[in-house]
Amino acid sequence: MKNSILEVKNITKEVNSPEGVLTIIKNINLSIGSGDVVSIVGPSGSGKTTLLAIMAGLDLPTKGSINLLGSKITTLNEDKRSQIRGKDVGFVFQSFHLLPRLSALDNVMLPLEISGSEHAQEKAKDALARVGLEKRVQHFPNQLSGGEKQRVAIARAMVNNPKILFADEPTGNLDKSSSKAVSELLFSVNQSMDTTLIIVTHDLILADQCNTLHELAEGELIC
Amino acid sequence: MLKGFNHGLRKFWSDLTSGDLLILAFSIVLAVTAISGVSFLGDRLKSSIKQQASVVLAADLSFRSASDLGAQYLELAATQSLGVAETVSFLSMVIANEDNLLSSIKATTPSYPLRGKLVITDFNGQVIEHAGSPKRGYLWVEPKLVEQLGLEQNNEMAIGKATFIVEGILQDFPDRNVGFLAFSPTVIANINDLDVMGVIQTGSRVVYRNLFSGSENNIDEFLENIEPVPAEIRVQKIDGIGDQLGRTLDRSTRFFNLAGLFTIIIAAISSMIAARRYADRHLLNTSLMKVFGASKNFIVASQVTQLILMILIATSVGLFFGYLLQSILIGVLKDLLDAELPSASFKPIGIAFLTSFCLVFGAASPYLKLLGEAEPIRILRNDFQFKLKNNLAIYAVALFTLVVFLLLLFEDIFLVSSIMGAMIILASVLYVIGSLMVYLLSFFQSSSGIGWKLGLKNIVHRRSESVLQIVVFGLSLMFLMVLAETRTGLIDSWKETLSEDTPNYFFFNIQDYELPEIKAYLDQELDSATVFTPLIRGRLLSVQPKEGGLMKSGEMIDRESNLTWYDAIPDNNQVVEGSWWTDDAGSQMEVSIDSGIAASMGLSIGDQLNFAAGGTNFTAIVSNFREVTWESFAPNFFFVLSPELGRDLPQSFITSVKIPTDNNQVSKGFVERFPTVTSVDLNAALQQVRSIIGSASLAVQYIFILALIAGILTLIASVFSSADQRKKESAILHTLGAKRSKIFQSAAAEFLVLGLLSGFTAVFAATLFSGFLSTQVFDLNYKPNIFVLGLGFTVGVLSISIAGTLAIRKTIYTSPVVTLRNS
Repeated sequence: MKNSILEVKNITKEVNSPEGVLTIIKNINLSIGSGDVVSIVGPSGSGKTTLLAIMAGLDLPTKGSINLLGSKITTLNEDKRSQIRGKDVGFVFQSFHLLPRLSALDNVMLPLEISGSEHAQEKAKDALARVGLEKRVQHFPNQLSGGEKQRVAIARAMVNNPKILFADEPTGNLDKSSSKAVSELLFSVNQSMDTTLIIVTHDLILADQCNTLHELAEGELIC
Repeated sequence: MLKGFNHGLRKFWSDLTSGDLLILAFSIVLAVTAISGVSFLGDRLKSSIKQQASVVLAADLSFRSASDLGAQYLELAATQSLGVAETVSFLSMVIANEDNLLSSIKATTPSYPLRGKLVITDFNGQVIEHAGSPKRGYLWVEPKLVEQLGLEQNNEMAIGKATFIVEGILQDFPDRNVGFLAFSPTVIANINDLDVMGVIQTGSRVVYRNLFSGSENNIDEFLENIEPVPAEIRVQKIDGIGDQLGRTLDRSTRFFNLAGLFTIIIAAISSMIAARRYADRHLLNTSLMKVFGASKNFIVASQVTQLILMILIATSVGLFFGYLLQSILIGVLKDLLDAELPSASFKPIGIAFLTSFCLVFGAASPYLKLLGEAEPIRILRNDFQFKLKNNLAIYAVALFTLVVFLLLLFEDIFLVSSIMGAMIILASVLYVIGSLMVYLLSFFQSSSGIGWKLGLKNIVHRRSESVLQIVVFGLSLMFLMVLAETRTGLIDSWKETLSEDTPNYFFFNIQDYELPEIKAYLDQELDSATVFTPLIRGRLLSVQPKEGGLMKSGEMIDRESNLTWYDAIPDNNQVVEGSWWTDDAGSQMEVSIDSGIAASMGLSIGDQLNFAAGGTNFTAIVSNFREVTWESFAPNFFFVLSPELGRDLPQSFITSVKIPTDNNQVSKGFVERFPTVTSVDLNAALQQVRSIIGSASLAVQYIFILALIAGILTLIASVFSSADQRKKESAILHTLGAKRSKIFQSAAAEFLVLGLLSGFTAVFAATLFSGFLSTQVFDLNYKPNIFVLGLGFTVGVLSISIAGTLAIRKTIYTSPVVTLRNS
């Protein structure tokens, strides 16, 4: 049995809306082991992205607790959670979220600079080379294709050798061939670095390639 | 097109409340608050100062002539709803209690004065009810006459062939005499008594004045109707009432204009930034509308409708705040100003709406054009960026519109064109300096942590935006510094010209043999070395230009003039052309002339002037022109002769001294001891000038404070606008593990460095610009005011840094999930 890297216990998220209190996710329990590749699927509005954000410590649940990498992040303040994210967590988003005024290299260097890592430039160049963009280091996001942008985002996510990588619809904005390349890249990160991979997706082909699949419906985990 | 208008109307409220239009609306509210505040206050203060200055003429317009003006102008003015009055002034001996005194008789109509107040008391000091002239057969006299002739209530006094009853004491009156009438105490009589006096004969020296009052437009219209005014009539308006007040009015009006101009330019810059944000936020909407089949016209019509509605609402709100702001300031100012404040006019309302339209459409039209033209797919693919390089023509049109608007508004071609020209040059210089600074920054490696590193990197990575921000912040700061420096220079110069040491007494008609005794008396009583100036009564007969010929007519020719002679150039005089005579050239027969008079007579250095004085005729060669500080209240002369010419001419002496106002004994003792010397008490005239200048100084202070508040608010708003784009970056950094403190630090570092770069460029530009304005517009000497520049720099840098970090603060505390989802 693998060591548990993420424990989600009785998580509920409620928000206020003009119609009253809205429950986004209800009573979720999950346990994810080190090196696992987990997909979370479900229809739009089922609470997938909210669950991902809470698991990553980007948002806090209304009820329940999260234990990420041995830290109970639901009791930590924002700065402590940031510290964990900066050191051990990587992110890949559907719309890439690259900083438009930074080159590919500078975008990848960001997490290293935030954590104060040495030899940031070399490490970032190396990460870009691993995603096949060694010739695009000085390109700016608007000079890259969608698939290339997502590869830069993956390089940025893995440059710190994170223990866990969260990907929110990583192929949602890409064509078929780019989707395939990005999926392969994510799985290769998992293989080569033993990084736990949690993917929120609509893409059932991608979901099926994962070891574990969870499905959300109306905020509840149905499998 | 009509569909576009309807769509714009339907979507207006939701767009306004969703924030897209709100940002632009907020910038307009702020701009209008600032502009209308300055405008409302400036307008009221200008009117108040003009009203005070009108007192010097006792009217808004005066016709002055040495011959009877008749009734034609008064009748015409009355038909044009102008207030009218008439005065006739001359010198005459008055006799009372078997004593006599040369007095200035002013015969007036009951409607006199049209501006200012007459204060008449009885001999017990009780103010008495009166019209603008005494009843026929009665007189009002100045206290000096009461004192010197030992007058009592209802004493008889003879003027010419008629005898009058002294009814009251003339404590104060508006149009204090200047020129030959100034040296004698004033008596006011009824104009209908002139004939019975029988003192005005052919050749008598008389000043006839027709006085008019009314709105500026009515006065101008009246003048237009009667033009050309005959050459022998001197037309005096409040803007041309002599050097001191004229310049005070001119300078304070120019300062108000400058403050208004700067406020509008800063508001324009802020609106440009807001317009860009508005366009950025409208990109997606526009592209979707295009996808759904909206034409370019539909989009433009919809946007224009929304902008017009927004302008109407935002301008009204801004006007309300602007009025409120000036009301608060007026409340404070009311007790300090020595004048009634007229109520606010409607002019600022028109200005505010016009400004809003110009600002919004000037700033937004390039973006509206681009929004209309952009291909929707590029916007939807997030592949569209505003590039205004190709739309320089539109910006040039917007700038041209702004210049035309400012010209119409301020009616000061020199001020507007020089400021706009200087601003364009300075903006270009600032752009180059900013680019260089940002370029140099890219070589700077910070070792003080990731916050600083990221902050500096942000500036370098956003190179073009950073440079633009440096230009914008730098220009705004520069305007505030320039305004502060100009205000300080202006007020200091006023203080200097009317300092406590300004002479308040003239003594003249002093003969050679009296000089030692009088000097000893004054030196001892006033504890200072009194300086005496020779006074020669003379007449300029003709001018022989260097090129030949003879000029026998002109303003100064054949008029009695006061001449003097000096060895060395006197204080308050500066040679502007030619050179002052030296000992070596002592044998030369030379004359030095006031540069203004020289220009009006068309004189050149080397021309020969023929004078008559003391029974002899002589010729003098023009050797230099002088600029004279007429407001110094020291004896000043149009013509100064070289010692060789003047020394031996028959002459008396004149001096001006400062006698403490609380010490009547000195002047009283002087008059008793030297009865043949004529003394002129300038205290009342000086007080009149001082009160106007005091009000102008106070007004300048308050306008400056208001413009400063407006400027700082607009600057802060610009900083807040630019912080908006950092939201997403901040959220990404947060997601990647950056602590809030680091993000905060990076924003603080970025704004601090931007503030420092803007501050440095502003100090540099302000020094150049203030120098230009002081010397070319305000006629002041310029020396950089280190305190003002230093304070401006510190306040500017702090405002930008604090406002910037505060603006980003909200973002830092917003969940990154929310920001990233919304983006």
